[in-house]
Amino acid sequence: MKTSTWLGFFSIASLAVLAWFTHQPDAAFATVPPTPVLVQSATSPATDALPDAASPYSDAGFHEGEAGLSPSARAGREIWFKATAGNARFHTYTFQQRITALIDWFGVLRSDARDTRFKTWGLINDPGCCKPGSDGCPAKSYAETYGFDWCPGDQELLKFVGKPGYRDPACDFEDASVNANDPEGHQKGREDSCNLAFGTSTGALGFRKFPNPRFDPAAWKQVNGNLGTWEGYNRKLSNDPARADAKVRKLADASIEPPFLIGTACASCHVAFNPAKPPLDPEHPKWENLSGLVGNQYIRVSEVLISGMPHDDLLWQIFSHARPGTSDTSAIPNDQVNNAGTINALINTAQRPVFANEKVNRWRKAAACPTGAKESTCWCEPGKPGKCWEKSLKTETVHHILKGGGDSIGALGAIQRVYFNIGSCSEQCWVNHLTDLRQLDPQARNFGQTPFDIGQCRRDCPNFRAIEDRLPNLLDFFLTAPEGQAKDLVEARANQKQTPYVQTDLVRDLESNFGKDAVSRGQQVFVANCARCHSSGKPPFETVDFRAIDSKSGLRADWLGNDVPTPVTEVGTYRCRSLHSNHLRGHVWEQFADEDYHARKTVSGILEPHDGGRGYYRNVSLVNLWAHAPFLHNNAVGPELCGWGGDKTNAYELYRSSYVDTSQPGNPPLAKDRQPACWKYDPSVDGRFKLYVASMQDLLNPSKRIPKATKVDEDIVLDIGPRIFDGQEEKRLVGFTVRVPAGATAGNVGNFRHKDFIVDLVRAKLKPAELEVRLATVLPAAEAQKLAAEMQAIGKAIVSDPNRLVDVVKEARARTPALWQVYASCSAEIENDGHRFGEDLSDADKNALIAFLATL
Amino acid sequence: MNARILLLAALLIAPVSGCEKISDLFGGKPDIAFAPYGDDYASKPDFAQVEYEHPIPLKKLVKITPKYLAGLNQEELDQLYARLGSGPMPDGPFDGEIVFPRGSSGKLRAAEIIGGLKGLGVNFKGKMLETAGEALWKGKVFYRNEKVLRNRIEDLAVLRPVIGPGEIGKIDVDGKDAWLLFPAKLYCGQSLIDSRRESIIIDYAFTDEIHGYREKPDFLAGRRGLKVRDEIRMVRPGLYLGRAYMDHAFILNFVLYSKDIDKAGRAEFETGQIKDDCWSGTQKRVLAQR
Repeated sequence: MKTSTWLGFFSIASLAVLAWFTHQPDAAFATVPPTPVLVQSATSPATDALPDAASPYSDAGFHEGEAGLSPSARAGREIWFKATAGNARFHTYTFQQRITALIDWFGVLRSDARDTRFKTWGLINDPGCCKPGSDGCPAKSYAETYGFDWCPGDQELLKFVGKPGYRDPACDFEDASVNANDPEGHQKGREDSCNLAFGTSTGALGFRKFPNPRFDPAAWKQVNGNLGTWEGYNRKLSNDPARADAKVRKLADASIEPPFLIGTACASCHVAFNPAKPPLDPEHPKWENLSGLVGNQYIRVSEVLISGMPHDDLLWQIFSHARPGTSDTSAIPNDQVNNAGTINALINTAQRPVFANEKVNRWRKAAACPTGAKESTCWCEPGKPGKCWEKSLKTETVHHILKGGGDSIGALGAIQRVYFNIGSCSEQCWVNHLTDLRQLDPQARNFGQTPFDIGQCRRDCPNFRAIEDRLPNLLDFFLTAPEGQAKDLVEARANQKQTPYVQTDLVRDLESNFGKDAVSRGQQVFVANCARCHSSGKPPFETVDFRAIDSKSGLRADWLGNDVPTPVTEVGTYRCRSLHSNHLRGHVWEQFADEDYHARKTVSGILEPHDGGRGYYRNVSLVNLWAHAPFLHNNAVGPELCGWGGDKTNAYELYRSSYVDTSQPGNPPLAKDRQPACWKYDPSVDGRFKLYVASMQDLLNPSKRIPKATKVDEDIVLDIGPRIFDGQEEKRLVGFTVRVPAGATAGNVGNFRHKDFIVDLVRAKLKPAELEVRLATVLPAAEAQKLAAEMQAIGKAIVSDPNRLVDVVKEARARTPALWQVYASCSAEIENDGHRFGEDLSDADKNALIAFLATL
Repeated sequence: MNARILLLAALLIAPVSGCEKISDLFGGKPDIAFAPYGDDYASKPDFAQVEYEHPIPLKKLVKITPKYLAGLNQEELDQLYARLGSGPMPDGPFDGEIVFPRGSSGKLRAAEIIGGLKGLGVNFKGKMLETAGEALWKGKVFYRNEKVLRNRIEDLAVLRPVIGPGEIGKIDVDGKDAWLLFPAKLYCGQSLIDSRRESIIIDYAFTDEIHGYREKPDFLAGRRGLKVRDEIRMVRPGLYLGRAYMDHAFILNFVLYSKDIDKAGRAEFETGQIKDDCWSGTQKRVLAQR
């Protein structure tokens, strides 16, 4: 075969292979839940008649939560709940068009589904908002709110849909006093608060909306029929499964401008129910039931972010399996390490362990720059005399944030990076640094990641500066707000019973369940088996009072975790998250890891690439463990959770069973009659406690765990090649079909490094000797030789029958296991493996440990 | 029939530089600076820094010609494109010229990948493809008010069987008429190479919704076909640099030129009065000040 034919083939084959990791951007439909009938008004929005004062719905409840906070913590709280830092562009345009995933914002936030929003998406309803037309709601019809909830501030915001000139409520943000120790230029030169970009609530806490000045009501009516719905915009183009348009939604038409841009604040993932004061009805919480720092254990944020995709699309199948309350934070800045981690409870932060004497290369406030300093090391903001930043390497005491401790340049830097994770400054600062999964030329931009530059982002993105100048407020909120304090079981039960209930009552009740003296015996078991990792105290642990109160912070002194990175090989849990690579040198978040992270000792015994700081998990906190089941970094140990009871005939139910049968080759899904049922969301005190006990039993009895591995639950069918429609039938002119069958392990597909694979396939054809040399750098010589020959065979097999692409790779992997070692970022499958500590304890001691931990 | 359709498809995406008529209109070479770079992707400089350290003065943009653009390698084109704004959404007919990606050696990038004598062969074939494409694709016509674009395709008898019977819209530009095919929607949207500001997007995905759409051959550019999406930024009024993608994979660059608009807009441009229709980002551009 001619070389040019090979190249031509691979340019097409590459489309197929890369489509394993991407989607067909124009092919987008989701299984749309049954559509409730919208009550429409014949009139256009009449937003002048929507005074806040006349409404029981207002922001007053939110502000009641400010009671007792310092001005700084109050400011930090408001930023945490409301500031999007300009990410609405990202969530409306950039994500869809550049990252190529579609979000059906109306499907997620439509007001007529407000009463089931928590069950479906795990979102927390904003108590200050209402359904148009409901009692006391200032908006009387969906046409007034374009199908969304009415929320405080909408009386003004709605006037600017389709018009310029909206004044963001953040412009009136009440700033706290500046730090008197800061250089004067920093005190006087704080960035305009407008750039915090609040907008108004969408009705789901943390999700914010902004009027779209480009909105054209006439065009909207043409697409949707009226102003009160987006039904035409999110509709499927065809119901005929034989048509390519059956996989396309109108959402893919980027020429349509929706009425709102949607942004997200940190609260979108972190706000949830106060474990000690849960709502009677989770769909209708009051402000007193909410905490901004507890972490949402129910949110299906992955499904939200690709809600506009078809369910047989690659992206949906690979990314929408994160368990409730977990998020793959490297899904957008993709490192092809498919994994998801819990949204941490940010509680008792003041007691969280810190690490001294770490070498931190970061920017620090300065009053001036040395003469002749380069801007890459010192920069003063134009028009703000004396507001300068200087970058240098210093020894500091820092926190280790993220599952592997990657964020380690200080708490403020870690908080700032969260804003990038939710889309802030994406256009100015980081999308250009991401990997484009379709870019297959190693010389072209976006073939791989390049490092985000903090200095450049500060200079070019005002939203960065708006957040950066107020980071101490956010940290003060974390450190001092009641929302960030532990919510013990004893307090929760006291609230639940509405009678005095104290520690001795709790111990009595626990011991009636778990055996006589269970709590005290449990403490002994904890000391002997757990405390070396799960205490921030110092040995000997026999003398540690794990419930002691710190006199300075008033919080529990022991954070119940030492936060020390432990090799994943020692913990034995699902290792993919520990192989997260975005903080490596040369990768996108390089500047957020300190020198000690980069210099970590390489963990031995891991198959896949694991250098540069990877391969570790932090030892986590066990504070309020009773309220935070299921367990482990991916919520995989314990019962599986679901919103609607697991009924897959219900289109709103997003639960996907991950139980597998490891006695069968390929670990296929467990037979349905052997799958344990999922547990419905139950944030009540009793519900949390039952889930805790079941999860602890699962944790302490690893041999009884039913293995879990997320599988593709529908065939992923990728038709490559143009199709013509004669008015009756569609016919493909050229091309082929790639089919990833249901039952394939989703992680294996997502972790396959297709670029390296394709580059090496071409190399195997054109420069086989060079390929063998390259492979010999990561494999023993004999294996490298074998794999090089295998790659040549793979190339020929694919060229002869492209439709067999998936099977060819599977067969080659079976013959030559080294294929996966070289081309997979992580080949682990079982998600609830490992952490077998305590499995040898007696049943009585396990029960005792469960009882004791429930008191912490 | 299918072979002819595929030929048209190839021509849709693969006409190449030539159009000496345009190139000959200009002379001289603007002295535009580029940031240093190497072959590897990781050595390519950040666009934000390129723009900050090497802003292009208006007087240099005025000197840019299609011929100059056709002579740049891909990294140079990328760096140049990133320093442009959307400009106004164009209106009226533009002549077109297409520029295949070239590596730092000056050869087509595909030829570089193959290397050696085989690479030379691919380079040669690629240039033949350029010539063939040039013969058919003449440019684009923008209908600014309707936010629609149509492509100017040479009226050739050989393509008639592919296109089928029926009336085809035509346009006469400078005494030469051409078919108007492959309609697309126009809007401000995300660039797929530089996120820092928007580009003008020429999107064929929903081409079938545009008045005058005919299944043959227009489907080829649409969502059932090659999923073509173009983006353009303005060098100056009348001269735009574009990038064409298939299913979000970059294929080639193209240049659009209108002599009349260039002439009419020159004075306004040189005094910095031409504004972007699309979001121009927050990085301060120093273009007009230097």
